[in-house]
Amino acid sequence: MTILLQVTGLTKQFAEKVVVDGIEFSLEKNTSTALIGPNGAGKTTTLSMLTGLLKPTSGSVKMLDGDVRANIGFLPQYPQFHPWLSALEFTEMAAKLNGVPAKKAKVEAQKTLEFVGLGNDLNKKISTFSGGMRQRLGISQAIVHKPKLLLLDEPVSALDPVGRREVLDLLKGLQQETTILYSTHILNDAEEMTDQLLFLRDGKLVEQGTLREVRQRFDEQNYVVEFSTEKEAKLFASQSGLIGEAKGSHVYIEIIDEKPSMQELLQHLSSCPYKIRKVERQTASLEEIFMKVARKI
Amino acid sequence: MRGFNVLLQKEFREAWRSWKFLWIPLVFALLGMTDPLTNYYMMDILNAVGNVPEGFEMLMPELMPVDLLQASIGQFQTIGLLVLMATFVGAISKERASGMATLLYIRPISFGAYFMSKFIVMSAVGFVSILAGFAASIYYTVVLYGTLEIGPLVASFFTYFSWLLFVIAVTLMMSATFKTVVATTCAFAVIFIGQILDSLVGAFWTISPWKLPLYGVQLMRGTMEMSDYWWSLSLTLVVSIICMSIGILTMKKNASMTKI
Repeated sequence: MTILLQVTGLTKQFAEKVVVDGIEFSLEKNTSTALIGPNGAGKTTTLSMLTGLLKPTSGSVKMLDGDVRANIGFLPQYPQFHPWLSALEFTEMAAKLNGVPAKKAKVEAQKTLEFVGLGNDLNKKISTFSGGMRQRLGISQAIVHKPKLLLLDEPVSALDPVGRREVLDLLKGLQQETTILYSTHILNDAEEMTDQLLFLRDGKLVEQGTLREVRQRFDEQNYVVEFSTEKEAKLFASQSGLIGEAKGSHVYIEIIDEKPSMQELLQHLSSCPYKIRKVERQTASLEEIFMKVARKI
Repeated sequence: MRGFNVLLQKEFREAWRSWKFLWIPLVFALLGMTDPLTNYYMMDILNAVGNVPEGFEMLMPELMPVDLLQASIGQFQTIGLLVLMATFVGAISKERASGMATLLYIRPISFGAYFMSKFIVMSAVGFVSILAGFAASIYYTVVLYGTLEIGPLVASFFTYFSWLLFVIAVTLMMSATFKTVVATTCAFAVIFIGQILDSLVGAFWTISPWKLPLYGVQLMRGTMEMSDYWWSLSLTLVVSIICMSIGILTMKKNASMTKI
């Protein structure tokens, strides 16, 4: 895999407050990366530094094949447009400013707007647009010039469930040919389209890796066995010879280095006289990992 | 000047669609026709109001056509400029504050091109405005008072336009440098307090941008000391160019102030 963007020691300090603190990561070509973190973690500040709008206090952002500004598309969290222009005019202008030749720009703008679902609103004034339409227009101005890197700040947070679904599908369609970095605090979205996770907290990058890696690191792996009564659960926990802890009618059995295996557990259970309701291996959702990372000291 | 044509088109569209090319010239036209009309009909107006005492004789000054143009320019200098500056002082700062600038600043545009596209569209609005103002003033002056010589008139018009370019350059520079409120204060201070100072203690110097509108009128009267005129005109253009350069630099420097 080739690396597209290399970020080293990126730091931003406003007056006394360090908002982004020496973060380092790289983005591989044609992968999607989610920048996750609680509010105020420094996600937007990081993205603004990547776009070049904000000068870092120290550190660098390097695009490995060329200038950053010429090769990115950016969607701010609340994109603001010039209300006097129509969707087509705005997208066409965006394309031209990024160096798409004038003749091609209009065709590309039209195609892009159709792709994001604004094909019927090409010539409507932006001032008449709804929130969902603005978000789509925001995406179209970010992708019309086919940038190598697409930066999205909370692309779906402001949308209703239907709009979210549609925008996520749009972005998935782009995944094959574009490198995407997006910030979000909606973890289901991150779970859905992510090759790499970057956890930001208090301006520091506290976790990074693929969803799988992060999961392994943070997952308390457990078997959960549910019995029909609390008493049975207690009895099983004390008698079975497995290290288990009873909570209510559940017994939690910790997995350490894949021990005990599911087979071993089932053997224990098959000889057990109590009524068993459910057996499962528990994996933490991204949300639980998020909570753990957010609280980790 | 990357993206200049595209940005110019965008600025022009915005000014056109927000009716700036219509209503600002209308304001100037109204201002322009006020003085010739009110002065000419002053006696009638007073009689119609009906409070003139019996046997009252008032000596009306004998007005030359050029006096009326000077009065009209006086109107442009206060109300006209106020309207023009108030309309344009947010051109850059408001775009930053609202976040509309963000989607442009992230692209590989040149800030010089963006600044100049705004400057040119504003100058065009200014040009049409004073054209309407001069036309209205001159039309009624010619109808009611008498003719003006065309050569000096054109010279006077372009002299006033040079002053207007200076006003626009100052306004845009302030807009690029400060937030809207501060920019408004500073731009008004430079233009209006500048005018007051220049009329109060301006007798001590003869070369100054603030004197340019008056010099335009003196061109028509034929009483202009030409070396003062040329020096003032040159100084105005030089200061305008300096203001524009500062504006471009601060616009670039303040790009990160845009709301994201």
